[in-house]
Amino acid sequence: MKHYWNVYKKFVSTSVSVETSFRTSFILLVLMDIFFFASTVGSVSFIYDHVATIGPWGKNQLLFFITFMLMIDNLHMMIFSQSFWEFSFSIRTGQLDYTLLKPLHTIFSVFFRHFRASSVVNTPLFLGSLIYNGMKINLSFLDWCLMPVFLILGLVLLVIIEFILSTSMFWMTDGTGINFLRMQMQQLARWPEFVYRGVIRKVLMTVLPVLLIGSGPVHFLLGGKWNNLALMGGMIVVLGFVLSFVWGVGLRRYDSASS
Amino acid sequence: MTNISKWWITIKISWVKHTAYRLNFFLQIIGPSLVFFFVKYNLWSSIYAGEEDLIIKGFDFQAMIQYHLWAFVVSLVAQGHGSWNLAEDIRLGRISSYLIYPFNFWEFHTASWLSFQVIQMGIAGLTLCILGFFGLVTLPSTHLFLFGIGYTLFISLFWFTMQYLTGVLAFWLEETWILRVMLSIVSYFLSGAIIPLDLYPKWMVTFLNYTPFPYLTYYPVKLFLGEAIDLTQGVSIILFWTLFFALINHLVWKRGIKLYTAAGM
Repeated sequence: MKHYWNVYKKFVSTSVSVETSFRTSFILLVLMDIFFFASTVGSVSFIYDHVATIGPWGKNQLLFFITFMLMIDNLHMMIFSQSFWEFSFSIRTGQLDYTLLKPLHTIFSVFFRHFRASSVVNTPLFLGSLIYNGMKINLSFLDWCLMPVFLILGLVLLVIIEFILSTSMFWMTDGTGINFLRMQMQQLARWPEFVYRGVIRKVLMTVLPVLLIGSGPVHFLLGGKWNNLALMGGMIVVLGFVLSFVWGVGLRRYDSASS
Repeated sequence: MTNISKWWITIKISWVKHTAYRLNFFLQIIGPSLVFFFVKYNLWSSIYAGEEDLIIKGFDFQAMIQYHLWAFVVSLVAQGHGSWNLAEDIRLGRISSYLIYPFNFWEFHTASWLSFQVIQMGIAGLTLCILGFFGLVTLPSTHLFLFGIGYTLFISLFWFTMQYLTGVLAFWLEETWILRVMLSIVSYFLSGAIIPLDLYPKWMVTFLNYTPFPYLTYYPVKLFLGEAIDLTQGVSIILFWTLFFALINHLVWKRGIKLYTAAGM
């Protein structure tokens, strides 16, 4: 573990050096996240100017859910986002060879390589908003203690699903489209599960369990419902095994574009 | 070779390029609009299911879904294009070829955009046929429909000039995708693509009417819905902004080409 931690610190420091050397891009990335935050929260607020509830939730509950998901987005952007785009590029160009040669677990060296420092600048905004909305719904002391654990669990489930999806890039000439699919999946997850109905909801809760990322923890925090949270825990374990299997198959399929 | 044949050949080559990776094209261009509509459909279904006979600013459930279906069609035609290749051409030094070819850089990319528009028109047409067949959208009168198509194509030209600007900024910026994403976020939010502008605060709509954003989605959708809108104002404002961005693009190109170092040469 110590070895991995030392390597990760190097990954972070080189990423920060690279990103801060392009200052305009760095500032634009910060602004992009702020625009995204404002448009998401603004849209929900405007809807609630005209309706009292969406499903069983009022404005405060839904805004808490939205800011919970935005906080996961912020962590995702910071730690993983860029690596997915680099992954499709490195498969296409054969640069993945050099990543695979490193004496590290391949999932670690592929998906933890790029850290986005600009997202750290926005973390106070996302975290502050989550805390503000959490206070409005009167979370208990225990809920506040559990919140970081739930954020990490949500992030873990999201990235495991995305890792599995990204494995399909081994079978494609250009995996860019998969990254767009991944982003659409995130868009689906940004709304609570009761927004969707019937078969679609069942599929998005089990086969492709993106709705559990937010709905599992937030339903527990709002009303003590633990069934979705338990399902989320189970899914993380099951999908973890699926990932380790499909990743191995994908690696065997990889034939290196540069060789 | 005449200039027209150069345009025609470029359009054909771009067509082949766009359709070479069909899954990518679907996931990159059509998928986002489709998922965006799917989320909105579910969200509004959930809102309207909460209260019987709910009407929000004149929209009942059917009217709201019609609005978003037309917004989906408009986004396919008007806002599908992205200047991905343009920025890459500059950053990787590929524009060196254009500097010696007897076909300008802007001509090449405009021809490429035209071929993209033909594909998008086909997809939008097919979508409309399917929606119309199942009775999900009501088509307006023929002349309004034709006005709507013409207006939407005009918006797509404006969208192209904005995208072109984000692309040519690659002379200065390492990453231009950030600008494209910012443009998408802002225009989705301010154009009425997420929720109709009728639901926005009045002061905000008054301000937005002086910007090009409402004319990207809200007004064309209203036109397709057969509602009375001031088309002259919409066309004038979009025309002004299109010419403005075309001029800026020209100036940016002139300044940028002086900085160009032909990476990799």
